[in-house]
Amino acid sequence: MIENLLTYIIFTPLLGALVVLLLPQSKTSSFKWVALVALGVTLVLSVLAVTSFDATVEGLTNSEEQLQLVDKAEWFSVELGSLGKFSVDYFVGVDGLNLSLLLLAAIVLFIGAISSFGIKQKQKGYFGLYLLLSTSVLGCFVALDFFLFYLFFEFMLLPMYFLIGIWGGPKREYAAIKFFLYTLVGSILILIVMIGLYNSVYDPVKTGLEAGVIENVSEASPDMISSIQYAVQAGQMESENIVKSFNMISMADDANYLPDSFLGKNSYGEIFGQSARWIAFLALLIGFAIKLPAFPFHTWLPDAHVEAPTAVSVVLAGILLKIGGYGIIRTAFSFFPDSAFHYSWLIGFFGLFSILYGAMNALAQKDLKRLIAYSSVSHMGFVLLGLAAMTVEGVTGAIYQMFSHGLISSMLFLLVGVLYDRTHDRGIENYGGLASKMPKFTILITIAFFASLGLPGFSGFIAELMVFIGAFKSSTVIGAIPYWMPVVATLGLVLGAGYYLWTLQRMFFGKFWVKDKAWRETLVDLNAREYVMLVPLVILIIWFGIYPATLLDLINNSVEGFTQLLILSVE
Amino acid sequence: MIDLNDIISTTEFNPLIYWIIALMAIPLLSFFTTTFLKKIAPIWGTLLLGVNLSISIYLASQYWDTTGVSIRGNWFSIGDTQLTYSFLIDQLALIMLVVVNFISVLVHFFSMEYMRHDENKPRYFGLLGLFTFSMLGIILFYDLLFIFIFWELVGLSSFLLIGFWFEKKSASLAANKAFIMNRIGDLGFITGLMILYSQFQTFDLEGIKSLTVLSSIEDGNWVAEYFKNGELVRNGLDGRWLSAAGIALFCGAVGKSAQFPLQVWLPDAMEGPTPVSALIHAATMVAAGVFMIARIFVILDAQALEVVAVVGAITAFMAAVAAFSQFDIKKVLAYSTISQLGYMVLAMGVGAYTAGLFHLVTHAMFKAGLFLSAGTIIHQLHQLEDKDINFDPQDMRVMGGLRKYMPVTFICFLICALALAGLPGFSGFLSKDAILLNTAVWIDEKGGGFYFIEVLAFATVLITAFYTFRMIFLVFTGDFRLPKLIPANTTLKPLQEGNIFLQLPMILLAIGSLSVIFGFTMKAENTWFYSLIQDPIFLVPESYAAFNLMDLPHEWFENLHFRVLAISIALALSGVVIAYFLFRPGAKFSASFVEQREPIGVIAQISFYHWYQNALYEKIILKFILWKVKRIAWFDRVILDGFINFIAKFQVVFAHLIAWFDRNIIDGFVHLTTYTTGRVGQLTRSVQSGNVQAYIMAALAFLILMLIWLLF
Repeated sequence: MIENLLTYIIFTPLLGALVVLLLPQSKTSSFKWVALVALGVTLVLSVLAVTSFDATVEGLTNSEEQLQLVDKAEWFSVELGSLGKFSVDYFVGVDGLNLSLLLLAAIVLFIGAISSFGIKQKQKGYFGLYLLLSTSVLGCFVALDFFLFYLFFEFMLLPMYFLIGIWGGPKREYAAIKFFLYTLVGSILILIVMIGLYNSVYDPVKTGLEAGVIENVSEASPDMISSIQYAVQAGQMESENIVKSFNMISMADDANYLPDSFLGKNSYGEIFGQSARWIAFLALLIGFAIKLPAFPFHTWLPDAHVEAPTAVSVVLAGILLKIGGYGIIRTAFSFFPDSAFHYSWLIGFFGLFSILYGAMNALAQKDLKRLIAYSSVSHMGFVLLGLAAMTVEGVTGAIYQMFSHGLISSMLFLLVGVLYDRTHDRGIENYGGLASKMPKFTILITIAFFASLGLPGFSGFIAELMVFIGAFKSSTVIGAIPYWMPVVATLGLVLGAGYYLWTLQRMFFGKFWVKDKAWRETLVDLNAREYVMLVPLVILIIWFGIYPATLLDLINNSVEGFTQLLILSVE
Repeated sequence: MIDLNDIISTTEFNPLIYWIIALMAIPLLSFFTTTFLKKIAPIWGTLLLGVNLSISIYLASQYWDTTGVSIRGNWFSIGDTQLTYSFLIDQLALIMLVVVNFISVLVHFFSMEYMRHDENKPRYFGLLGLFTFSMLGIILFYDLLFIFIFWELVGLSSFLLIGFWFEKKSASLAANKAFIMNRIGDLGFITGLMILYSQFQTFDLEGIKSLTVLSSIEDGNWVAEYFKNGELVRNGLDGRWLSAAGIALFCGAVGKSAQFPLQVWLPDAMEGPTPVSALIHAATMVAAGVFMIARIFVILDAQALEVVAVVGAITAFMAAVAAFSQFDIKKVLAYSTISQLGYMVLAMGVGAYTAGLFHLVTHAMFKAGLFLSAGTIIHQLHQLEDKDINFDPQDMRVMGGLRKYMPVTFICFLICALALAGLPGFSGFLSKDAILLNTAVWIDEKGGGFYFIEVLAFATVLITAFYTFRMIFLVFTGDFRLPKLIPANTTLKPLQEGNIFLQLPMILLAIGSLSVIFGFTMKAENTWFYSLIQDPIFLVPESYAAFNLMDLPHEWFENLHFRVLAISIALALSGVVIAYFLFRPGAKFSASFVEQREPIGVIAQISFYHWYQNALYEKIILKFILWKVKRIAWFDRVILDGFINFIAKFQVVFAHLIAWFDRNIIDGFVHLTTYTTGRVGQLTRSVQSGNVQAYIMAALAFLILMLIWLLF
């Protein structure tokens, strides 16, 4: 067990980025190796974090006791005179809600680094930015202070913008700026809520310290904390002693909202006649739904994917989208469970709509990468549907879907990259009968397609099944979404089979034919490097499809803590 | 009250699990290894399946008399819900094990010759292994989720085998159609899983059945009450969901067992190699749907069973009609398979569980026999093709008189055909008779509008015998028509009988189609099959349950039996007679018969195009969907994204406006201010001219003004 493990995980890629920057431009060939080693170390450390995770720990999502591998230190604080004080922590930790995503991020970033070996121009900048992106992505998944989280969240945009804008396809500038602006709109919504939350939430432990009730942090027993919370709620605490906080765990506990604060549970804060909590919830939801992306905020995704270089597409689909889903779980649902219940019908409906809308769009695409991008929209709809259900099965399914889609979509984009590397063309109609020319490639893409369309035996099936049963059960257990939603959502499975099989038939089966004669020579089967990145993914996808307990045993307790939090707020 | 966790608790270790693992691992091993064993792949695959068959027979002999052994263990848990896997080795599973492995071995053996010249035969044998693996999964597992998992894997292997010759566009299209039609049915299966899970929180069939018995109907609600982890659970759903669960699960069977309205994939599936058609699309995979209905039979309620019966009867009749005008021998057999599956489903629907399963087994034998015989014919005719002589070896119009060239094939085909036509002495007679009898009794009890089911079921007997013998007359009697159809200057190689690889499986299956295999009797209930498998009792709450056939007075069966027997034999014989008059050896076929693309006459066309169901799906529904998705993509690109781009452009324009405003108005104001100040400054500066006279003048003027103001 290593001290400060998460900190090492976050900052190892940053260290790598520094090394890349310091190395002279002449050592071009060394940059990719630096990136690979840095991300390899990150992967090993992440696996270590997963293996050292204690699955038996129980607790509601709003208790700090259930967190593990915590690193916490005060970063800075500002005195506000009679208004008290606000403090920002460096606070990272994992529970079952983000553990799987941390692992996913480490895997996908590592494989993305391998696939980046094909980058030939401006390697120093590319790998520097890629490593910078890695740090901010990893940080985003483990940060538990909203300020810190937001910092990582925003910081992702910078390397992403340049990675698409410089190394992308013909319309890269348009795509990059679209991506940037879209996400920025989401960030602003999140920022507004963050400010509102910081105005409403205090940290009981620090308030206790400030007021002199306790001497140091170790004295803060649960009893002590609740007596401080009681004092604050009763208005007995001097206002200058109150320490406001960005602690995301505290934010999920109603007792940590100041009495009569704007976003407190029993406050009368209203915006346009609506409860401020509802509005704040919606703002967070939309902010992260843009990232997810859900209909109607998804149009940046196809453009960004099509223009991005392969490795960036992989990271984008494999990890960045999951930050949207994770954000909804960790912030919107955790902070405002009552509002989540209030809007569950709407969330479920948009989930359902995304599933069908994304799939129908995929069916109409002529560009292979766009097709996969729209299939991502469809698959991320399952995340929303599962969350809206507010049942253990639904939430587990949503998390599992994010994990599984991370692996499957990475594989799909890598495979498209394989084809693109050879011909610089992704038009579905420009190929035919590739199976006879590239049999091994065809086998792998068939596996990926079937995994993505939810064939049992692959991880996607388990995820979708859990979302379905969880969503259907919702009405009986908690009444969040109606019975018909999951039943209608099953249509997504047929549409999924439709666009994938049609693509297989058009591109891979039939007589070999390509639009450009020159491609006949360039279309060769997979090489060793491509095997190295694809085969491990196949193994993982099958492993998590056959033995989901590997992951579920780790996250079960946390998911139960999370759904318990939701149910408590409804009662 | 029962605790769910007790029902689905892990069973004690039982060495049987090794046999089960072996049964599934061996075909899977074949799948993974054949690709690497280029030349010996066929022998290796066949040997492995031979081992599997031996294990199945051994297990059958060991567990023949037991009431069923179940093995259960934990798979994974979601929250506090434990999901399990479980196997059940009961008589039904054992019979299916032997049948599937038996036919699989024969098909492997047959394929060694049939696929001899195909360079991709390692892949072919591997896929046969994958299929057998998946099929055995459906049979062995006793958990709806696992049945679904292997169900889908069966769909995958079927997809890969139909599209085996993927360079043919029609083959890959047929593969897609099969998979997607199955998927549509599977939506129902998943919905069924959702309903049952929300009530019982388990997929284990033992658990579902035990808790269904305990569930009740209260005020129109279907309430399930039980303990789970020591806590009382009380789940309620509207009572209609009980029927919905059954119907939804049945939808899965509609896809897999090619029932109306999803049956259109099966005729197209004939694009696959013929031995594959025998194994998958006649004997085993398509029967999986019926097997699944059998597994969930006791939790089906009266309404669901009515749906099952109606769908079965419609399917049986429609497909039989479609079979009588086809030219392609495999198409006839495909439609006939659909029709016979309709019978099995009908049997399930009327509650004749044992009769349906019995027909499943007899049909597996005789239909696999028919397909392999047809495969032999196709294979041998294919040998005659060369670069000058091109014809479709599946077209019955090029055949004729093959009895003389291929006597063994003829006899095998004839025996299986007699079984299909349901004539006494052959297995199909016993099982079909049982289905008809049970249907008749069920309808007598049910009454009302259900008589049309009986009409369809008996009409199908006539049509079945007709198309079967039309096929026999066209293929085996009269003169060999091919020599007259080839260009005059070419000569045909002599047509030969298939070799031992082709003959042996056919012969074994033909023997399996004799009724003596099941007992010296004219009544199905006297066969050994009936002594092993009995109709179970429905477990759903009473107000929803269908009546059990066995509760009806036995005299009803006795009274009706002779009538049903007489009518069905009479119908079958008249079918044979009609076929004889139309297609007898000396019958004159019009000159265009051999060249026309489609038969003449409205009824024949409806039959040939299978009631235009394909046309409806492809020309209207599919077209509509493709048009719709294009519209949606247009909406996404032009409207939604256009809106975003518009906002972006608007922003830019707005920014320019602001810039203009800033430059001209704000800046202008500032400029104005400075200008004014400047002018004023100049004005005032001009006052301070440094000229004493001017100062005095100004002071004087000011003084006068002051005075004026003071005075007035």
